[in-house]
Amino acid sequence: MNGIRILLSLSAILAALPLTVCAAPDGRALYVEHCSACHQMEGQSGIGLPLIREKLEDMSDVYLTKTIRHGRPGRVMPAFQRMSDAQVGAVVGFLRESSGTTGRIYSDERLAGNVERGAAVYQEHCVKCHGADGSGEGMGTGVTTSRERSFLIMPASISNSGFLASASDQMMRRVVSVGRKSSGMPGFGRGKLADDELDDVIAYVRSLGEQQATAEKLDAEERPTHVFESPYDFDQTVNNVKAALTGANFRIFPDRMLEQGLIDEFSVNTRQVGIRFCNFNVLYGMLKIEPRLGVVLPCRITVMEQPDGTILLVIPNLRVVSRWFNNDELVGLWDRMEETFTGIIDEVTL
Amino acid sequence: MTRYLSLLMLLLVILSGMSVRADDMLMGRIPMKAEIVLEYVRTSVEEHGYKIAHLQLCDGGMTDFGYKTDFYRVVFFGKVEEVRMISADYPELVSYLPLKIAVIAEKNETLLTVLNPEALKPYFDDERIQIQLGRWRNDLVSIFDDVRRATGKHLVAVD
Repeated sequence: MNGIRILLSLSAILAALPLTVCAAPDGRALYVEHCSACHQMEGQSGIGLPLIREKLEDMSDVYLTKTIRHGRPGRVMPAFQRMSDAQVGAVVGFLRESSGTTGRIYSDERLAGNVERGAAVYQEHCVKCHGADGSGEGMGTGVTTSRERSFLIMPASISNSGFLASASDQMMRRVVSVGRKSSGMPGFGRGKLADDELDDVIAYVRSLGEQQATAEKLDAEERPTHVFESPYDFDQTVNNVKAALTGANFRIFPDRMLEQGLIDEFSVNTRQVGIRFCNFNVLYGMLKIEPRLGVVLPCRITVMEQPDGTILLVIPNLRVVSRWFNNDELVGLWDRMEETFTGIIDEVTL
Repeated sequence: MTRYLSLLMLLLVILSGMSVRADDMLMGRIPMKAEIVLEYVRTSVEEHGYKIAHLQLCDGGMTDFGYKTDFYRVVFFGKVEEVRMISADYPELVSYLPLKIAVIAEKNETLLTVLNPEALKPYFDDERIQIQLGRWRNDLVSIFDDVRRATGKHLVAVD
């Protein structure tokens, strides 16, 4: 009897589960949700690289699948590691269907090129666009097409660990041979480079992956915010914060209470204030690198009086926040900004 | 009895593991001008029970300083009872409140971007805040879906 009851409960739970768990995943819906913001609906590119017929024809399903799984660490595209195999397969299926391509099949066999000779070939033909370290020359990774960037279509970061984990040597060789008309990359096949030179340059690109610098890993102890106790009372702490920010050349916006706008003005807790500040020169430079920064703007230090009279200063940990954007260009800048914030807090709590 | 319960728990663990984990940033592209999309965002945010705290004009500030930029707004919103719960019990999280959605013009299209509250989950152990962060994430995804649907209908109506 108990068994039947349990089975009935189980059936009820299963019935309540979202249909998506059981139904075949909808590739188009998944593409709209996860990919279209960067690659656009027709794959025209934007923040992400173009996903057009010319490119998809050369890409294998294995490459697309691994690219979705690994992403491009530090280059905006996230790794979709928690998607089910069926969902990733559905996205790849949608790309195939919408582009009318079937994709090539490449062997996993490594090419036996010579790295030193490949370096010379790379310097002559590839460095101008892909950069000395293969990370893609120029500013603007992850920037929308309507904003300033070094290239309309950013050269692929061919030394990126996500790319190297996804692309087989044979696929890279094919792309180097035929080029990419859509992004202005010339083809180096048909006698332009000898067969062994093609193998050599692929071997060199593989070696670049081992040299690539990646953003410093965070300590396990790192928290998403810093919380400090002020030795001063609420008003003095607020004044100290503003004086320190002015000294550090930040423009201070009018105060906003944490609850302001969420409840009538007479009920707002006035002992929780966000001191908002900005340096427009720095901000403008950062938005060229990462247009999504608005989700953490403006910079803010929150001063809160706790019920026991303790005054807390709360600021976001920029080292943690910057890594959520998966944009290494931003990480370096924000790690330096974090030092500025630390200096301000030191001054305030002295 | 214990065996059935163990089986049930195991099944639930397997099924929950099949769900898609969100990324640290949630993004959406809407094929419509940002000024119009902003209005749909505001409507959907309110329909989800949130109050708009204020609207930040990022482009306005930059233009004042002589920089050229496209339409760029940030919508701040929240529920006062949630803000009070967080400031009382999880003061470490106040930096991420109110919630905010960036509305960014890209030519005639609009990008919506938001920090996924679930990015904060690994930093907290207790179930209460895990549920809250998950709820915010679900609401944000639902707001994005609402805007997609609403703007889709609008496009059809215009055609």
